[in-house]
Amino acid sequence: MDKITIVQAILCGVVYWLAVGNLPFVGLWSLQRPLVCGMITGLILGDPVQGAVIGGTINLVYLGFMSAGGSMPADMGLAGVLGTAYAIVGGLDAETALALAVPIGILGTIVWAGRMTFDSFFVHIADNYIEKGEYNKIWRANVLFPQIMCFCMTAIPCALAAYFGSAYIQGILDMLSGKVLTIFQIIGGLMPALGIAITLQYIFKGESKVFLFAGFLLAVYSGLPLLTLGIIALLVAVVYVQITGQMEGKAVTANGAAYDDEDDEEDD
Amino acid sequence: MEEKNKSIIPKAALIKAWLIWETFPQTCYNYERMMGQVVAHMFSAIINFLYKDDPEKRKEVMRREIEFFNVHIEFGACILGMAIALEEQKSMGENIPAEFITNLKTSLMGPLAGMGDTIWQGVVIPILLAVCIDLTRSGSGNVWGAVIYAVVIVVAAYALSYWNFMFGYRAGSEAIMDFLEKGILNKLIKGASIMGCMVMGGLIVNYVNAFCGIEIVSSTTTYNVQESFLDAVCPNILPLGMTMLVFYLMSKKRWSAIKIIGLIIVIGIVGGLTGILTY
Repeated sequence: MDKITIVQAILCGVVYWLAVGNLPFVGLWSLQRPLVCGMITGLILGDPVQGAVIGGTINLVYLGFMSAGGSMPADMGLAGVLGTAYAIVGGLDAETALALAVPIGILGTIVWAGRMTFDSFFVHIADNYIEKGEYNKIWRANVLFPQIMCFCMTAIPCALAAYFGSAYIQGILDMLSGKVLTIFQIIGGLMPALGIAITLQYIFKGESKVFLFAGFLLAVYSGLPLLTLGIIALLVAVVYVQITGQMEGKAVTANGAAYDDEDDEEDD
Repeated sequence: MEEKNKSIIPKAALIKAWLIWETFPQTCYNYERMMGQVVAHMFSAIINFLYKDDPEKRKEVMRREIEFFNVHIEFGACILGMAIALEEQKSMGENIPAEFITNLKTSLMGPLAGMGDTIWQGVVIPILLAVCIDLTRSGSGNVWGAVIYAVVIVVAAYALSYWNFMFGYRAGSEAIMDFLEKGILNKLIKGASIMGCMVMGGLIVNYVNAFCGIEIVSSTTTYNVQESFLDAVCPNILPLGMTMLVFYLMSKKRWSAIKIIGLIIVIGIVGGLTGILTY
């Protein structure tokens, strides 16, 4: 496809609003992930499968991205929606779309910081409702007003970016030939290392370290799909925890045995 | 806290309060009170059952519940259930100081947020995503990975937070502390880390791409470094090395994600221009 209609652009903006506005909250866990919002964007543009594939590829960068304590390292919702939209309109392959989406995601953090700052205003409206005893109105301060503001801050810029950005994508594409395209693809190929490394920061510790290399070698030489690998990994984890648990149990028993030899042997 | 008095909050109101907590905790997320406002919003669902003939007491409850609060939504849901239970007991004449409720909330939110973020965002989501992205990209592509991911994570979030909320309401603060100190949690984190590491290893092979483009041309043969050397040592060794480099820079050198993105762009440009890397 070569053009995005105004209605499609507006729908893209609405998807982005729902993805980052946290309405409902589980949108943070579902719609905000590029795998999901990419598919929805694809649906709007008439190709959900392509949207899911491109969104899923973009999502690799954001696997373990954490929004903790109110911080947001990158706006994967914007990267997912716009990256997928541009890719479908411009006919980009997934790796190139990924390289394009990552800077967009960094841009999106401005929106998050702006919201977190301006939302403070509404809390004082809620304080006021409490002083007046109008508890049934608190929902306005918590949901209605901030979400109207959030809609203006997210849906409108995103719709404009989707509409006007895709008009230029063809021009950008013409530049993306030969060496430049190869560079984009190399960057897109390397970028998932970031998503994996961030995830590893939480789990690559102590005893679990060796299992990264076990999983790596298993995947290299078996060529198993990730779902199968995941099931094997689950079984390995269960067995490992059981065995180490037993060993700890034995250690406790052994200590106990120092006090009372015969009793323990009978128990066994 | 001794034997719990009879409950004066109907189950339906409690479910409504939980629904507000799970649905609107970040609709007005802000730096000043974080999630404080949603706690007040949640309490608005049950406040009219407390202090039936004392509006001033009701106002006191609301004032202290709109204060600063921040936690992992699903893992921290037990704190909210507990807070409702404590306010309920207090309203029925139990001797619970107001500061006790606030202190308990603030002291529990740190550990539950840390644990919740690690397990949920560090293990559950990455593994589920990895598998579902692989599913979506398999063959000529399909939407099932995206659909399955969205359904599973939404159902899991609602189920976990409901169970946890009601657990906090019924069992109270001591049970939560008890659970936090139990070894079962460490086992869970250990097992999840092992599974996560293995899946991440597989993910490197499938989705990080880096190929060396150097070819040494002599008069008779062409020596392709990627095929003749790197693949012979171990296929996908460059992606593994790249991932470990990024991990090292982030965990040991404290590089931010944005710095890493910059580095990857530089590597891509330099590698692409010189031909050291290819696609």
